[in-house]
Amino acid sequence: MKHVETEEQQALRSAVRDIVGRYGVEYANKHARAGESMTELWQEMGEAGFLGVAVPEEYGGGGCGIYELAAVLEEASTLGASLIMMVVSPAICGTVIAKYGTDEQKQRWLPGFADGSIVMAFGITEPDAGSNTHNISTVARRDGDDWVLNGRKVYVTGVNNADYVLIVARTVDERSGRLRPAMFVLPRETPGFEYREVDMDIIESEKQYLLFLDDVRLPAEALVGGADAPLEALFAGLNPERIMTAAIAVGTGRYAINIAAEYVKERSVWGQPIGAHQGISHPLAKSHIEVELSRLMMLHAAALYDAGEDKAAGEAANMAKYSAAEASINALDTAIQSLGGNGLSKEYGLAQMLGLARIGRVAPVSREMVLNFVAQHSLGLPKSY
Amino acid sequence: MENSALNIVVLVKYVPDAQFDRHLIGDAHTIDRSESILSELDEYALEAALALTDARGGAKAGNVVTALTLGPASAAVAVKKSLQIGATQGLHVNDDALAGSDAWATSLALAAAIKTLGPVDLVITGMASTDGETSIIPAQLAARLGLPQVTFASALEVDGGTVTARRDGDDYSEEIQASLPALVSVTDQANDPRYPNFKGIIAAKKKKMTTMSLADLGLSASDVGLAGSLTTVSAAAERPARTAGTIITDSGDAGIQLVDFLAAQKLI
Ligand SMILES: Cc1cc2nc3c(=O)[nH]c(=O)nc-3n(C[C@H](O)[C@H](O)[C@H](O)COP(=O)(O)OP(=O)(O)OC[C@H]3O[C@@H](n4cnc5c(N)ncnc54)[C@H](O)[C@@H]3O)c2cc1C
Repeated sequence: MKHVETEEQQALRSAVRDIVGRYGVEYANKHARAGESMTELWQEMGEAGFLGVAVPEEYGGGGCGIYELAAVLEEASTLGASLIMMVVSPAICGTVIAKYGTDEQKQRWLPGFADGSIVMAFGITEPDAGSNTHNISTVARRDGDDWVLNGRKVYVTGVNNADYVLIVARTVDERSGRLRPAMFVLPRETPGFEYREVDMDIIESEKQYLLFLDDVRLPAEALVGGADAPLEALFAGLNPERIMTAAIAVGTGRYAINIAAEYVKERSVWGQPIGAHQGISHPLAKSHIEVELSRLMMLHAAALYDAGEDKAAGEAANMAKYSAAEASINALDTAIQSLGGNGLSKEYGLAQMLGLARIGRVAPVSREMVLNFVAQHSLGLPKSY
Repeated sequence: MENSALNIVVLVKYVPDAQFDRHLIGDAHTIDRSESILSELDEYALEAALALTDARGGAKAGNVVTALTLGPASAAVAVKKSLQIGATQGLHVNDDALAGSDAWATSLALAAAIKTLGPVDLVITGMASTDGETSIIPAQLAARLGLPQVTFASALEVDGGTVTARRDGDDYSEEIQASLPALVSVTDQANDPRYPNFKGIIAAKKKKMTTMSLADLGLSASDVGLAGSLTTVSAAAERPARTAGTIITDSGDAGIQLVDFLAAQKLI
């Protein structure tokens, strides 16, 4: 495993900081508070090729991998601009199509992922299938050459600004068997498809939606990876999702610690900066260590994934998601405490991120489900459910 | 001649990042370069060059933009960043004997480096470095190369063998023409510099980057460094820490208080 980034990777990080830095944290905060997508930033990042770093070069992308994509998101989040749609659109949907799409599908969609001009949401969670994805009941039935989809999805992020939603369904004759995902690219304006905002209590630039699919008719070309796609087709997208969620968490943790470290250097209560008190400095140092450790696991998971070590990448991605979420929640809490009353003010922009940081403990896979995974798969312990 | 390809040299300097506190080190009071970047003011020079060459079909049409820096090994960062942004090739003058060079010695080495590049149409520089801030290198370099110089251009155009530049004063603008080859320094009003995109970052790796020593330039150690410099910094002091300042509370007369304060400080 390499621990030193190449010049290109470092330059990529610095270029992302340049762009996001020009928008500034005020831009990100304003959009988070208004619940509005950071469209201008997204477009500029897309045109510069930063959203398409992982798309193959032949389709206009950067030809790199999830490692670089995660680096982009980590840097943006470190500056307070968590482009959550990067988790979904390029990382899940772009990867699935690049790895399992037909030539026509790649021609059609990948150039749009390369420059960010296509935004694709991802719908797997259902009212009765969250942690238990085996319960998915959205069904795709064949009708001539077409597919007809029926079902409900919930908590699907960013549908309002998406051109498409990649829907995870199952084919009708496998309804009771092992999960056999069938993935469909659903254009947002398709008859029979409706979406309604879920009233979330998170200060965040993207919203979540409840999806209704009632006799949604899609052509054969909408199916990605075939009707009997291997489970790996789905996991080709889910491991990057975890890595990218970890990237947001690492960035958020760094963001919080940076603000707190600056603050406690300046703020004096007893004639010296409060950062001199170990009651303040040690928790910040500890949070910093935890965030950096989880960052290392995130980079490790990304490197494994890009090397095609899917099994090891799956384990590492879960561990990275778990530890980064925990570290960032803790870092944010510590930072807020370090700022006293200011930690809860709008001016310092910390408290507003509590909801965002908390997402990582629940989604895309909950803390408990990661612990289940590690207990069973890493430690070989029996399953309780 | 109308739109023929251009061969442009852009001076790029590796300077301490203004975001961080700056420090002087050593008896010669040289600048601590541990947190350094491509000088922001040179990004305008690079952009000016790229805009001119883009309009003439870019590298494919035979246009060349050489990013030239002089500095220690770490200064290669400024050239690499320029290559990522779009320069065609890089030239880095690096020699231990250059340490401590003032503008006079620096311009000597830069002029020698530019001469190695063959016939050049334009040398474009920033309006100043964000560290030394002498703004004198462009003039010295023009003199050493025997080129007409146009400084502080806020716009420039090249038509055939003529460069036309606009200089903006406080209450006037003037247009200056010079025949090519020429040297132009541009201000931070000249354009809106581009930043590297991902393709540029990847492409930079394959671009030509040459490093030259004094010997390669036909210079000796005594021509440059402290020995070859006309000026030495005899003393330097760090700026005293900022004091708390004055906070005016507005009870209806803040404007008057502010004016009184500024007048008392002889600022207005
Ligand atoms: C902000 C946000 C954005 C999201 N975006 C998307 C999206 O874009 N697309 C999408 O498809 N989904 C999305 N989701 C959904 C997310 O993936 C699910 O919320 C998550 O998988 C958990 O499912 P659930 O909410 O149904 O919780 P449940 O499955 O009901 O779980 C509830 C609790 O029970 C625990 N639990 C469940 N089973 C076990 C067990 N066996 N052992 C121990 N504990 C258990 C869980 O850990 C959790 O704490 C999003 C969610 C949020 C909050």
